Order: sequence, then structure tokens, then C-alpha cells
Amino acid sequence: MNRGRHILSAFDRDLETVQALVVKMGGLVEAAITDAGTALETRDDELAEEVRRRDRAIDALEAQVNEEAARLIALRSPTATDLRLVLSVIKIAASLERVGDYAKNMAKRSNVLAQMPVIEGAGMALRRMAGTVDQMLKDALDSYVHRDAALAADVRQRDLEVDQMYNALFREFLTHMMEDPRNITACMHLHFIAKNIERMGDHATSIAEQVIYLVSGELPEESRPKRDSVSQIGLGEGDQA
Amino acid sequence: MMNVMTRTEAEVGAGEQIKVEARDVNVFYGDKQAIRDVSVDILDRTVTAFIGPSGCGKSTFLRCINRMNDTIDSSRVSGLITLDGQDIYARDLDPVQLRARVGMVFQKPNPFPKSIYDNVAYGPRIHGLVRDKAETDAVVERALRDAALWDEVRDRLQEPGTSLSGGQQQRLCIARAVATQPEVLLMDEPCSALDPIATAQVEELIDALRQEFSVVIVTHSMQQAARVSQKTAFFHLGNLVEFGDTDDIFTRPKDPRTESYISGRIG
Amino acid sequence: MTQTDLPADLQSRGHDWASPRARANVARRRRSETVLRVVGLGAILLAFLMLGILLWTLISQGSLAFRQTHITLNVPVAAEHVDPADPAKGNYRRVIAAAMSETFPEADTTEQRALSKILSNQAQFVVRDKVVADPGLIGNEVRIRVPVSDPYDQLAKGQVDTTSAAETRRLSDVEIANFRALEEQGLISKPLNWALVTANDSRFPELAGLKGAIVGSAYALLICFLISFPLGIGAAIYLEEFAPRNRLSDVIEVNINNLAAVPSIVFGLLALAVFLGWFGMPRGAPFVGGLTLALMTLPTIIIAARNALKAVPPSIREAALGVGASKQQVVFGHVLPLAMPGILTGTIIGLAQALGETAPLLLIGMNAFVTSTPATPFDASTALPTQIFIWADSPERGFTSRTSAAILVLLGFLVMMNALAIFLRNRFERRW
Repeated sequence: MNRGRHILSAFDRDLETVQALVVKMGGLVEAAITDAGTALETRDDELAEEVRRRDRAIDALEAQVNEEAARLIALRSPTATDLRLVLSVIKIAASLERVGDYAKNMAKRSNVLAQMPVIEGAGMALRRMAGTVDQMLKDALDSYVHRDAALAADVRQRDLEVDQMYNALFREFLTHMMEDPRNITACMHLHFIAKNIERMGDHATSIAEQVIYLVSGELPEESRPKRDSVSQIGLGEGDQA
Repeated sequence: MMNVMTRTEAEVGAGEQIKVEARDVNVFYGDKQAIRDVSVDILDRTVTAFIGPSGCGKSTFLRCINRMNDTIDSSRVSGLITLDGQDIYARDLDPVQLRARVGMVFQKPNPFPKSIYDNVAYGPRIHGLVRDKAETDAVVERALRDAALWDEVRDRLQEPGTSLSGGQQQRLCIARAVATQPEVLLMDEPCSALDPIATAQVEELIDALRQEFSVVIVTHSMQQAARVSQKTAFFHLGNLVEFGDTDDIFTRPKDPRTESYISGRIG
Repeated sequence: MTQTDLPADLQSRGHDWASPRARANVARRRRSETVLRVVGLGAILLAFLMLGILLWTLISQGSLAFRQTHITLNVPVAAEHVDPADPAKGNYRRVIAAAMSETFPEADTTEQRALSKILSNQAQFVVRDKVVADPGLIGNEVRIRVPVSDPYDQLAKGQVDTTSAAETRRLSDVEIANFRALEEQGLISKPLNWALVTANDSRFPELAGLKGAIVGSAYALLICFLISFPLGIGAAIYLEEFAPRNRLSDVIEVNINNLAAVPSIVFGLLALAVFLGWFGMPRGAPFVGGLTLALMTLPTIIIAARNALKAVPPSIREAALGVGASKQQVVFGHVLPLAMPGILTGTIIGLAQALGETAPLLLIGMNAFVTSTPATPFDASTALPTQIFIWADSPERGFTSRTSAAILVLLGFLVMMNALAIFLRNRFERRW
């Protein structure tokens, strides 16, 4: 990694501009996750509405990042670290935009859920899960700002935790649905929210991987830890249930 | 600092034969050392780019490969450079003949003030590669075709070489160099005097020449090195800092000096 | 530097380009430019004025020598003066005198002798040569056209002030009257003086010509060229292309440059000591003159040739070396042909200098009085500049105008050689 100044100071300014956009985007996305979680738990329709509204700003920022990155490639012909930085910025912005979309989807569903009976403990569990993912995202972005590959590697490991939380919730929702078919609609929505949060974790991991690539020039080779056993549920386990 | 970054035996795949091998080469101009302990392997049928800031020794090293430095009185070369395993600084090796085997193209297009035909025929004639007019015609045509210039000049071979455009002149110089059937083609910033279109034509030509020759190109344009070469060597203050596959050098250089240079940073 | 160090009007970024100070600055700069231009122009005008005066003097003086006053005369060749058995031994002076007495029947013997002096001394030999060629002329008349002698030539050209006191003139009133009588008879003409370049030197100005000097100079220049050109190019090629750069070659270079500045008379002394003293070569021979001039011209040619070789761009050398040409092939196949126009120009300029060189030729005896054209470079001869020197030294009035005419002839040759140099340069010089 080389963080010396460019001879052409305008190049440095351009790189800083595009990174600042990403950091700003990250802030918006983090806030969206937190607020979506809170809105879900507190059944705060207004807050959910605001989360949905603010997603437009995130989308606009992503477009701006892509535009700036394209301009950088065209005008500055970045190489080595600079090239990796521009490439990672595009990918990170894409990831953040997806995370923002999931948060928006969460807020949308929480509006619907507000009209339905409360599923005991689900709101808090989801908010905790969202909090974990939020922290991952925050750390991933911190590792990006500080070029901290170790922190990024740590973020990758923590995705395991999120996967396990999702697995636990999946089983819980399944139980609720079997107990009372009237809960099915709510539980389906809640399940989608859980799945969305789990996907957010995947995107946070992907951002961490971009940081590792940016710092070392290599994408981490071994596949990242996965403990998504949900896809296995129903094979044998389901017989017992 | 480790200057040697040659590929291990395992990495040298089939068909990637070493053409020129340099070991611990030092070059002195009088008391000044221009090249320090450079070791590098140049592969056959590969374009190798030498990059680095001005005065880093890349041109000096290039000129060691065909012993052009011999023409400078005060220069002294130590270390080993071999062409196909043969020591080119051996006492019994004729440097003039070596230069027919290792052709060179220079920064400024420098055709002789003679006809296009005579420019290309000059090398084969003085080395006795051709016996009569018919053979000379054939050699000239092939060289001009190799240099992607035949279609443009076939009808005016007797016009002076200096009447061509800059890009054509440079391709004429390449034709002149390939006419003696060299094994290695050295190019010292061949596009620095050309416009972008002519540069692109010469780059396309370099890529085509790779099928037959081992090409070594010195360039100030990092983009050009990236575009035409498979291997890149970065020189700094007379040292070979880094040598490796071009895509590695340009996406993930190992040495911070390489990184600084190719990304245009201070330090 | 702190902001306070700046002059007051530069404290803010906007400098007032229309301020009085700025305007004064512009005016000062323009004034100094004008002064420079005027001084330069003045220098050139002065140089032209000097050149003009020189040419005007030469031409006004020399033009007199481009025409020669001739007298046309019917000469009766009487058998009493010339023995038909041996026509070469005849008393042709009496023949001429007889002819003059026929033209002026009333003149007595003393006057007749004076009348004969109107004709150049050459007249009797012209008649003799005609009679020898055709002895049948004895007893008949021969029509000759010969130059008049110098005093009458001057008179015919209006150079004699007839109104001044008789004692201060070379011609008495009677002599002038006689000449005027001849003029009235239409016997005097002033044709172009081809003898100036077709005759050899003579004691008599009306007969003197430059042929021997021109041939002598041509021989000397030829020898000079044959020696200095190959030697000069050889030395230049060696020094420029092959010699190692070290203390010795520096010394040689400095010495060659110094040689070019050595006064030419020193070369004359050297030639006198070496060529005439040691080797015993003939005095006044164009061959020796050529050798001496070659010594002088060599440094000039070497310097010109080295500069021409240096001017060949290194890219051409590199190109040739790059395709595997040997050093010798590079030099003789590429560098030398490209440098040739420059070398030739330098050589011609050097030869032109040699053509005008006088001092060394004086020392080796090329200022002798020689009345024949040298048949080989080893015969004694004069050269153009030394001939001018001889004539300028002669007391006869006729030689004054001939000296100027000879200078004009020399200048003509120099201009021709320089024009050739310019032509060669423009014709063959290549641009890169």
C-alpha cells in the first residue's frame, strides 16, 4: 500500500472526492439499517416512511460514485493502488446501494407488519440482528477508511454469527407458523426481513473483501465461512418436526 | 535490496524459452555507475518493457544487449549477458555481427537519406545475406510486410525514406531492423516522437512482431508498457527494482517504489 | 518573502500595466531597442560605404586598363633593312622608323626617332614575326595594329594634363601634336585589352598581361587542392571518428586551431627553410607555392571538415551501427557523403583564401620577373597576388591602372569560387 501524494494534486482531490461520497453513502446506509430496525420494533410508521424516503438519496449517491469513478478512469488512467481503489469504490457503492434497498424493503414490510398481531420476541431479535449487521457494516467501512485489512478480515468472520442468528430465527418463525396458521402472513414477512438482514451481512462481508483486495491486491481466496443451514432444513430434520 | 526477481524454474512454462539472460550486470561510465547488479531473463517471443524515470539506466541496459555501449569510449560493462546461452561479451564474439542478430529501433525515426528500398536492403547487403537483385527484392518485401508498411510504400520504393510521415518512418526503421532477421529486437522509446495514431500502429506492429521475435522496449509511457508488453521491468537509480508479469506490475506491484512510479506519486 | 517586502503596487495581485511607471518602462525598453537597431544599421552602412569606395577606386582606375590604345600602321618592309636570306636578323627598328617618316614626311631624323617612340617597343617584333612567317612580304607593305607606348596611351585616355607646364609632362607639345595628328588620320583605336589576360608580364606596361600569373596561380591551387583536400579530410575523419578522446587529441585539436591563425608569412619562412633550403626545390615554382599554400589551407579544411562531420546527426550513425555496420562502413557509407557538401564548401573557402595569399609566395620567390607562361608546375612563375605586388611596385604610369585591373581579375576569381561554394551548399545540403 502506498499512500504518498500524487505529483498531480488534482488526482488526489478526485480520489478523495469519490471516497468521501462512499463514506457519506455508508453513513446514510448505516442510519437506514438502525432506523429500519427501530421502526420495526416500535411499530413506528413515520420512521419507516422516512427510511423509505431516504433510500432515494442513497441511490443518487451511488450513481454519483459511478460517474466519478468513470471520470477518474477516463481522465487519470489509474494504476496499481489507484486502480484498485477506483474498482473497489464502484463495488462498495453497489453493495451499499443493495444494503440500502434491503433496509427500504424492511421498512416497507414493517409498515405492513404494524397492522398485524405481534409475534412475541421477533421484533427485538430482528433489531439485534440488524444491530450486528450495522456494526459489521460500520467496521467494514472503518477498515476501508483506515485501510485496515485485519479489521476487514474480522468482519468477514463475523458474518458467521449473522448466519447463525438467521438460522435460529428461521426455526422460530417455523414454530410460530405451525402453532397458529394465522401467524403465517406476519411470519413470512418477518422471515423475509430476516433474510434481508442476512443478505446485508453478506454485502458487508463483500465490502470487507474489497478492502482486503484494495490493501493487498489479492482477493481472499478461501471461501468465506458459511453456516447457512436453512437450505438444508426439511431434509430429514423436517420429518421430525 | 533484492534486485533479482526472475521467475523460478517452475514458473517458466513450456514454450517460454529464455532468449537473453543477464546476470549481475554492472555498467560504468567513467567513474559513474549507471547500472547496478541487474539480472533479468528475457523470453523468446515475448514483449518485455523497461520502464523507469529518466536516467534510471533502462536505455543503458538496453544498449548492453547489442553492445551499442561499446561505441562510447568511457563505458565499461561487467557481469554476464548471454544470447541463446552464448556470452555476448566474449572475446571472440564480433559486436558488429551481434548487432545484426539483435536489431535496434531508436527514439527518433532515423531512416538513412536514401530510398526506402535501400534503407531496408542496407543491412542484408552489408552482411551478405543476399546474393542478387531478386533475393534483395524478396528480403525487402518481406521486411516491409513484417513492418506493416508494404501496402503503403510498394509503389514508391525508390522515393527517399525521409519523405514518409513520422509513423511510416519509424515503421521503415523497424523494417530495416527486421531485414537482417534478428532474433531480438530492441526498441528505445520508439513512439516518443509519434502522434497517437502512429503510436497505435507501431504498438499493433510490436504485438504482431512478437510472433517471430523477442522484443524489448524501453518506454516512458506506462500506458504503452501496459498495452504492448507481457513482462515489465522497473528500473530506478540503476537498479532493477521489480520484474514480473505486466498485469501484476500494473495492478499489484510489490515494491513501493514501483507503485509510486506507475501511479505517479511523490517518493 | 513576506507580503510586506513586496512593492506597494504589487501588494494586490493586479499590477497596473497603464501606470506611468509601467509606461516609462516600456518607453525605456523601446528606446534601447531603437538605439541598438540604429547602431547595427550604421555599422553595416559603414561597411558598405568602405566596400563601395574600394570597388569604385578599383574600377575607376582599373577600367582604364581594360582598353588599350592601339595604332594601325602600314609598314613598308624595304630590302635595305631586311636581308631576304635571313629575315629574322633584319633591322626592324629602321623599318618602323621608315613607316613613321612616311606618315610624317616633313619630320627630320631626330623627330623621326621621337615619332617611333609613339609605337610600343613590341611593334618591330610584330613586323619581324610577320616577315619571318612570310618572307615574300619583303619589298611590300605590312599592315600592323600594335599598342602605343605608355605615355601616349595615357595621353589617349586623357590622363595627361596638356595645359600644365611642358617640363612636368613626359610628352612635349610637339609629341602631343604629332599624336593628335595620328588621331585625326583615324589610325588610333582603343579596343578591349585582351592582352591583359592573354599576354605575359613585360617591362612595358602597354604589353604586360596576367597570363603567366593566372596559370601560375592555377598550378599552385591545383597542387594545394591535391595535397590539402585528401590530407585534410583524412585528418578530420581520424580526429572526429576514430581518435580516442584524451589529452593528446586535445593538444592536437588546440594546435590545429592555432595553426589556422598563424600568420601566413610564417608558413613562407617554413617553406623557404624546408622546401628550398633542405630539399633544394626550384625557386619561384608553382609546385612549391602549392605546397606552401597547402600547409596554410590544411588547418582550415580540417576544421571545416570536422564541423561538417560533427553536423551529421548522431541518429544516422546509430542507425547504421544498429543494423550492424562496422565503424568504417558507417563513416564512408553514411557520414562522409552527408558531410561532403560542407567539406567542399570549407575547402573552396580555404582555396579562395590561398588564392589571395601573397606573403608566403614572396618568400619562396614567386615574385620574380617572368615573361613566359609556366609549362609545368616546376617552372618559375608568378601568381596573381604576387603579380599585383610587382606591378604595384613599378614606376610606370600604365602599371597603376593595370594593378587595379589585376586586383579586379583576382576579385573576380574569388567571387566565382565563393559562388561555387554557395551553389554546392545549396544544391547538396540535406536537411534532417
